[in-house]
Amino acid sequence: MFNFIVRRLLQIPVVMLVLSLMIVGLTQLLTPEQRAAPYIRTEQQAARIEQIIEARGLRESFPVQYGRWLSSTLQGDLGYSRASGDDVIDTIKERLPATVELTILTAIPIMLIGIWLGTLGALHKDKFLDQLIRVFVVFGYSLPTFVLGILLLAVFYAYFNILPGAGQVSVLNQFALSDLRRYTGMLSIDAMLNGRWDIAWDVIRHMILPALTLITVLSAQIVKVMRNNMLEALTSDYVRTARAKGLSDRVVNGKHARRNALLSIITLAGFLIIGLLGGSLITETIFAYPGVGQWVVQAALQTDLAAVLGFAMMSAVVVVVVSTIVDILYGVVDPRVRFD
Amino acid sequence: MKKLAILSTLLVVSTALAASPKDTLVYQWSSDIPTLDPAATYDTGSGAIVENLYETLLTYKGASISQLEGLLATKWTVSNAGKTYTFDLRKNVKFHSGNAMTCADAEYSFERMLVTNEGSSANYILAESLQGTGANANDDKTITWARIDRAVECNAAGQLVFTLPKTDPTFLARLAYTGFAVVDSKYAIGLGEWSGKEADWKAWVAKDLTNSKLDKAPSGTGAFKFVREDANAFLATAFDGYWGKKPAIKNVIFQRVDEPAARQQAFLRGDADIIEGSGRATDTAQLKGKPGVAWVDDLPNVVAQALFMNQNITDKGTLGSGKLDGRGIPANFFSDVNVRRAFSYAFNYQQYITDFQKGAGKQRTTLMPETFPGYDAKVKKYTYNRAQATAYFKKAWGGQVWKNGFTLTAFYRDGSASAQTIAEILKREVEAINPKFKVNVAAKQWSEMVASGNEGKNPLISIGWAPDFADADNFMYTFYSSNGYYAKRSSWKDASVDKWLEQTRTTTNTAERNRLYSLVANRAYEQASHILIPAGVNYSFFRDSIVGAGKANYNPMISFTLGTYWKELSKK
Repeated sequence: MFNFIVRRLLQIPVVMLVLSLMIVGLTQLLTPEQRAAPYIRTEQQAARIEQIIEARGLRESFPVQYGRWLSSTLQGDLGYSRASGDDVIDTIKERLPATVELTILTAIPIMLIGIWLGTLGALHKDKFLDQLIRVFVVFGYSLPTFVLGILLLAVFYAYFNILPGAGQVSVLNQFALSDLRRYTGMLSIDAMLNGRWDIAWDVIRHMILPALTLITVLSAQIVKVMRNNMLEALTSDYVRTARAKGLSDRVVNGKHARRNALLSIITLAGFLIIGLLGGSLITETIFAYPGVGQWVVQAALQTDLAAVLGFAMMSAVVVVVVSTIVDILYGVVDPRVRFD
Repeated sequence: MKKLAILSTLLVVSTALAASPKDTLVYQWSSDIPTLDPAATYDTGSGAIVENLYETLLTYKGASISQLEGLLATKWTVSNAGKTYTFDLRKNVKFHSGNAMTCADAEYSFERMLVTNEGSSANYILAESLQGTGANANDDKTITWARIDRAVECNAAGQLVFTLPKTDPTFLARLAYTGFAVVDSKYAIGLGEWSGKEADWKAWVAKDLTNSKLDKAPSGTGAFKFVREDANAFLATAFDGYWGKKPAIKNVIFQRVDEPAARQQAFLRGDADIIEGSGRATDTAQLKGKPGVAWVDDLPNVVAQALFMNQNITDKGTLGSGKLDGRGIPANFFSDVNVRRAFSYAFNYQQYITDFQKGAGKQRTTLMPETFPGYDAKVKKYTYNRAQATAYFKKAWGGQVWKNGFTLTAFYRDGSASAQTIAEILKREVEAINPKFKVNVAAKQWSEMVASGNEGKNPLISIGWAPDFADADNFMYTFYSSNGYYAKRSSWKDASVDKWLEQTRTTTNTAERNRLYSLVANRAYEQASHILIPAGVNYSFFRDSIVGAGKANYNPMISFTLGTYWKELSKK
């Protein structure tokens, strides 16, 4: 197992190198003017485009430009992101914990709801409860996050006024954040560690609507797959044998059928967490949630090369780490695929 | 049920507490704040903040853009035939760090701008006046430390002295630009910024200060001081040591909210006092007349926009056949004044105002704002007239245009609804005149528009210009001079116009300058140099609890959306 984990971790620099070559290579298809675009916001700045290109060596060859990027990256400098107005490393350090916070708050309910509803649907196949769950699945699948997000804001914030609007904390708490000592970067947890329960509660309340949006949309797939897996498991030979042995429905469904049905859900969970950690682009943008997703949307719109490369590097680490964890969990659930 | 009731109560109570407090100004917008370093500020996102944290020597007097008044300067004299400017600086001014402001700070600030003068910054505007060129020392080897040092100095009396290489009537207006503010030199040097000495000046040439140490931790003399900034929020608080009147607003929060619907909801609920709008049509429908919303209309617009008819199209790919055979145009198609006049009469100005500007637009006589000194309202302007357009098309190129027709392409910047509408209105009207006339409409990315524009590749494009400083030169030279920034886009060269525009740069006599600008405007009309796009009428909206904002206080040269500084505002 240890060797397996080390091997996986060693893949990270290789994946990063290939990714960076691909991305920097792809940007060479853009003209120097297009690559200078992130530095331009006005016609006045556009008038100075030649100076901008010259100062940043944007007309130089691919090896020179890539070499410059690699050399600074190896020194721990991923460059400056025009989209965030800060260094890429600092931007990731600031924004990733916020995304992790939202991921924790959403991934667990998504998995629990997905598994629970999927199991219920399969156990009550074609009955009213199953029909109801299928309606929820169709709802989650067909509703884009930007529609659901705005709808939730309009209902719970604008109309009923029971939940806060966009942002991470209310105006009153904004100034109090200056005195907060940051331990994890996750604001709700840091606030608790500082004994500021009011701020922690404020942060959690601000996360309810984005989390609800993500839970509604993303749990649909888990429900669907879980229901299908359960249906398949319930009609399989080993379940029939278990029933024949006289085991109770609770044991057969819960221990025999569901455990097997969970195998592909673990893979899906891996993808789900990779997706959430990579930033929920639309949801973070709508709710002005300061995660990496909101940043990368701006970066892409502005052709912010340093940010795109930095984000790709971060994603590579997330993918390798999460898939390693998924593989380990696979071994826990299914002894046949253990590595030792 | 009981648990649900408790939860709901808790939610309602905490939400009720969240509304914007009386001493706090909450602004929601979609832009980021690229920099808080004045020497790198060259966009409204940064300017809207920097103008409140830092102060310039001069500023605009109230809503006027022609009258300047001292801010950090108390008085100034001009001598040496307009080449020496001597400023008395305000006493007892403190920086946010607690350091006292001295002349050395002002000298350091201006020298820092001249030394760095990075491509995407506005510092070339200062360098043009103080060095006679917008270039930095990397691009122009004649820029030496001695030249920079000589340009701005403190004399024995503690006055700040600027020495210009030649007379520049625009210099004072340039000094009012937000970015040309005084920074705290001791504090900046302590952070690790340029030492202010010759020893390391070379290392700072062309250095991008967007992400400088001062950007992270600013210290100015403004009425508000920086508290903190994170991914989505910027916070400032009133500066207790401010030399001027203490601001009524204590705290200012800029929240970044990209989604317009979320901003609108926060605004209507009163959680945000001011928000970035979504265009006149949407804002009128969604916000105007709603409870708690103050709406101010008919505000000055300082952007000028034109359709450029290029007389020397350098990109053969856009010329079709390259001949007057109906399948293309020759590279000098627009060099015939009859073609330009025909196009000028063919554009339906009123339709653009009605459809795109929702009735809130007006035609100008010249490519500069009507509020700018030097604007002449008496100059004639083209109106939509199909008969006149037809007559000029018949005269053009000895009748060849009318007989054979043409095919050309009008480009617009991708994503610009305004530029697309302009191109499509022109297409419809021109094609209706003669079935042999064909105008294709195509989009280009901004970077491509800039690059192809600089090389004179586009036959027809619409572009605008917003002012850096409130002087007619900033528009007139840019649009009309054959040495101006937009020269390659029109390739229009008129010896008289060039001469008049150069003369405006060497005289400080306002009446004479205005006379020369009228001559340019009349000549441009007669020669149909550009198609002038009607200017939109500006508007503003905010929560009606805000006091101090409105038409009387609105200065279009101030970056903040209300056209006034935060220190002028209060809440009732």
